[in-house]
Amino acid sequence: MRWLRNILDKVEPVFKKGGKLEKLYPIFEATDTILFSTDERTHSGPHIRDSIDVKRVMILVVVALIPCYIFGAMNVGYQMALALGETSTWQQNLIRGGLKILPIIAVTFAAGAFWELLFAVVRKHSVSEGFLVTCALIPLVMPATIPLWQVAVATTFGIVIGKEIFGGVGMNIFNPALVARSFLFFTYPARISGDKVWVAGPDGYSGATALAVPAAELNQDAVTLLESVTQFDFSWINMFNGWIPGSIGETSTLWCGVGALFLVITGLGSWRVIVGAILGLTGMAVLTNFMAEVTGSSNTMLTLPAHYHLVMGGFAFGVAFMATEPVTGAHTDKGRWVYGFFIGALTVIIRSINPAYPEGTMLAILLMNAFAPLIDYFVIQGNVKRRMARYAQ
Amino acid sequence: MNHIVIKKGHNIRIGGVPPKDVVSIAGSESVAISPKTFIGVKPKRMVSEGDSVLIGSPLFFDKTKPEVKWASPANGTIKTIQFGARRVIEKIEIKVEGTEAVSGPSFTSEQLVSADRTTLLTRILEANLFPLIRQRPFNKVANPKDTPRDIFISAVNTAPLSVDLSLLIETEKNAFQAGVIALSKLTNGDVFLTSEKGHQFQNSINQTISGPHPSGNVGIQIHHSKPMKPGELIWTVNAQHVITLGKLFLTGSYIPDVILTVAGPGASKPKTVACKVGASIKSLIVDQNLKDDVRLISGDVLTGKTVDESQFLGFYDSSVTILPDSVNRPFLGMLALGSSDSKYSLTNTFLSFGEKEFKFNTAQNGEERAIVPINAWEKVLPMDIYPNELFRAILAEDIEEMEELGIWECDDEDFALCSFACPSKIDVGSVIRKGLDLMELEG
Repeated sequence: MRWLRNILDKVEPVFKKGGKLEKLYPIFEATDTILFSTDERTHSGPHIRDSIDVKRVMILVVVALIPCYIFGAMNVGYQMALALGETSTWQQNLIRGGLKILPIIAVTFAAGAFWELLFAVVRKHSVSEGFLVTCALIPLVMPATIPLWQVAVATTFGIVIGKEIFGGVGMNIFNPALVARSFLFFTYPARISGDKVWVAGPDGYSGATALAVPAAELNQDAVTLLESVTQFDFSWINMFNGWIPGSIGETSTLWCGVGALFLVITGLGSWRVIVGAILGLTGMAVLTNFMAEVTGSSNTMLTLPAHYHLVMGGFAFGVAFMATEPVTGAHTDKGRWVYGFFIGALTVIIRSINPAYPEGTMLAILLMNAFAPLIDYFVIQGNVKRRMARYAQ
Repeated sequence: MNHIVIKKGHNIRIGGVPPKDVVSIAGSESVAISPKTFIGVKPKRMVSEGDSVLIGSPLFFDKTKPEVKWASPANGTIKTIQFGARRVIEKIEIKVEGTEAVSGPSFTSEQLVSADRTTLLTRILEANLFPLIRQRPFNKVANPKDTPRDIFISAVNTAPLSVDLSLLIETEKNAFQAGVIALSKLTNGDVFLTSEKGHQFQNSINQTISGPHPSGNVGIQIHHSKPMKPGELIWTVNAQHVITLGKLFLTGSYIPDVILTVAGPGASKPKTVACKVGASIKSLIVDQNLKDDVRLISGDVLTGKTVDESQFLGFYDSSVTILPDSVNRPFLGMLALGSSDSKYSLTNTFLSFGEKEFKFNTAQNGEERAIVPINAWEKVLPMDIYPNELFRAILAEDIEEMEELGIWECDDEDFALCSFACPSKIDVGSVIRKGLDLMELEG
């Protein structure tokens, strides 16, 4: 790689102060340090530093998403074959699905990089690696049928409004990838609200998503209803494995779990948030099941058991990769429990009791993003009160 | 005996560990004291270039506290007095010519036990050794007019590549005991002596501590034994300086000896040496076969200052650390799997396992970024304090919130590991120092 290094060294003066393209220095710097680790040395504080940096943090989150990408491509291909009534091998599925999602990935990264670089140049800050994660997340929460221009518009909204206007990665209040998705959710609901399946298949092919099935019927048992569906296999194990229609990367609880495990082991995602969310989901689902029993409500969603909630919709993906995002979540360990718990509980509430949206994970996480500082505030106040009590002795 | 268990923190497995046996080295041709070392001191010189001084003669005093003077660590003539901006003294260098010391009254152990506060305090001030005593908050030279709540001595040094204090205290037991007795007279409270092995001394509350760095930091020990409240003052003395004070009382003279380590991955011959306070860096590394691109640090690798060969050992420092200063740029390094030879991290983000010593260099391993709170700071700060929130309160200069979040209990050295571990490469310690300066300014 000596030759590449030589090229970079050769063009560096052009981007340095006084050079022709000095305004574009952030772009050069980002390219340079992504290709070759920085040689910056310590100048204040400790003379030695841990090997981890934000680039490593971000790239590992992208690595954690790879299983979801591979499975997502295969599932898109599988659903296409299913819709066309064909039988196909997994290789065919992978290639077919891959060709379907590659343009979405390309458009997302192009739009994301454009805005990130533009802001870096105009605001004269260095390019933040966080956009890699945002851009890696966005395609996974999009349906395979999404028009590419909508991907570009959503990515723009997510990066600019979700992140850059706050000052960039580390200063944002909401998860930019979810901001991008919610933008589409509210502006083009026909494409993405979660009641109809999105299968790349023949024109006019449609069906109800797993969550829309029990939401559409009154006075039924949710599980019986799901099992009676013949168009798709909505059995628990199949939904856990993820061979159901949905957004590209979110259908498989199994592979989301693998990604989450990777984040927890590397210490980049908080296990407290994940466990909290599962507890919240379970607790609230048990409560709704109980309510259905006691009140005799006609709402079929109330009868959906916790382990079905876990494998349906975007819950697994949202909790594994969105809720664990450290910047927009709670910053204190105690706060993370509460933050996670409410994400789980709110997901069930929105799914079961809100008549407008069959899915609730995205809204639950965004809502808790807004409340995370408040949760932290109460945790910190606990610490302050304890200290003040000691001072008063 | 009270035992403190520290769970959070980390002992950095840095290479170039020195053997514990002390070797003596050729003395330094000249020694120096730099008033810049002392936070908040306004120095006024008491000597001129060419003057002769004995060990223990006063060199300068603090204009804000005129009774606090600094003793010469050598017998000889003043070689240079270096001034900085607005003629503030930056350095007083003494050419070493002899070993004669100023001599004063000595005390037997019994006399020490029965002596009163004024006698002992006056003796320390007259010997110009009061700067050995520092105060918390602010970690600056104490004020002799104050009476501290307690005095804390840490007999364990957990900083990377540090001197084994336990061994030293065992060998200098009598002097250490004399120092502890003298210090116990200066406070109405107690002397807290915290050690790893459970040293037993009179006139002190002996407690033990176990756990990784920064458990040896006196600030952590105060926090876990009797935390400070706003308005309280605590004095702290380095274990080596307790010995110096003890010897002052037992012999009547200042003996400016210091045991230090010359170590680190850049050192060809890591060693523990006996030398004089303020020795020249050159005299300490003379037998090291150093490459051109090394960084010399007076102090430990977490809190020390960069120096060059022509400079001198810091007043409170007991190590000289040598680090390789050349950093390479691996292709796509951010995707590297890593190994225990190439990466060192407190997170599990690389495939580096085992307890192998690591050859650190001065690489920052990344560029500065906004905080990404993955608990990197919290995992290495063994205090009931939320560092992230305190950090932000300081940046916002919110005095009230800083106090609520416990800034009085903090010192920048306790946050050095936070900076080490930070993925965003933020220097947390300097911000804590900024907060402390602000608190002092606002009273």
